[in-house]
Amino acid sequence: MASEELEENLSELQIGENGEKKPVENDVSDGAVKVSCFTEDLQDVTLHFQIVNFSKQIYAWIGCNSAKLGHLYAAATTRPNNNVSVTSLLGGTSDNTGSSIARRIVLKTGLNVVVACNIPKDSPMLEATAERKLVERLASLGYFRPKEKHSN
Amino acid sequence: MESSSNNSLPTQFPVSHKSFSLNIKGNKTDIVICKYDDCFMVMATQIGCMGTILHARKEESVSTDPTFHVAVIFGKRDEPFLVACARQLIEHISSYGSTRPLVLSLGLKDHSPGSMKEIIYAVIENRLW
Repeated sequence: MASEELEENLSELQIGENGEKKPVENDVSDGAVKVSCFTEDLQDVTLHFQIVNFSKQIYAWIGCNSAKLGHLYAAATTRPNNNVSVTSLLGGTSDNTGSSIARRIVLKTGLNVVVACNIPKDSPMLEATAERKLVERLASLGYFRPKEKHSN
Repeated sequence: MESSSNNSLPTQFPVSHKSFSLNIKGNKTDIVICKYDDCFMVMATQIGCMGTILHARKEESVSTDPTFHVAVIFGKRDEPFLVACARQLIEHISSYGSTRPLVLSLGLKDHSPGSMKEIIYAVIENRLW
């Protein structure tokens, strides 16, 4: 059983043979900030992801075919009632690409979030795919609130 | 000071970065420097979050001397040394021939000039421009 788990973990770290998923992680140990980078090759676009894990905040960058920063959004829970608020920091338009991703990450993790995203406008499917991949990685990093509390 | 970068990995991620830690006046400071296609991002934190975010850019001017525009886009707007830090770094970027803007985030416990200088030195030592 232990060898199977080890093989699974190793396969996640290796570059995928079919070219779809290419995790390129760079961990910094001993308490420093951790930066995770990975790429997802979809049919017609390549999505790049970069996650910087601070202890009280998450910074995430999503790149669509390019390495431009794109629009920058900040999202956090705000008073009253801990509703989630989102604001555009750079970019300045009413374009929603990225802001909804930021908002949903705050809902799921409870942390403050800064998201940079250069996904083009009017691409809801691409935005949804990018958000799903990002959420999967955040879940694997242990960022989601536990839904159930187990009592022993 | 421990540092890491992704410049030697077999599959090149399009955004290169450096991440390291150092001690500034007793405060552990984590610094991440990223190079995007159209800007540089520098994050320095002592408090576990990004803190104040500033945007600095070089402005096109007719005269030979470059001018710069620095603005706080998130966080403390009454700390002049944060703006001065961004101004120093964008001027350094410009002196190395790059016209890319800088997004700088500073989450610091101590806003003294001495701390700012040490952060600037550390960033310049590990620059990606």
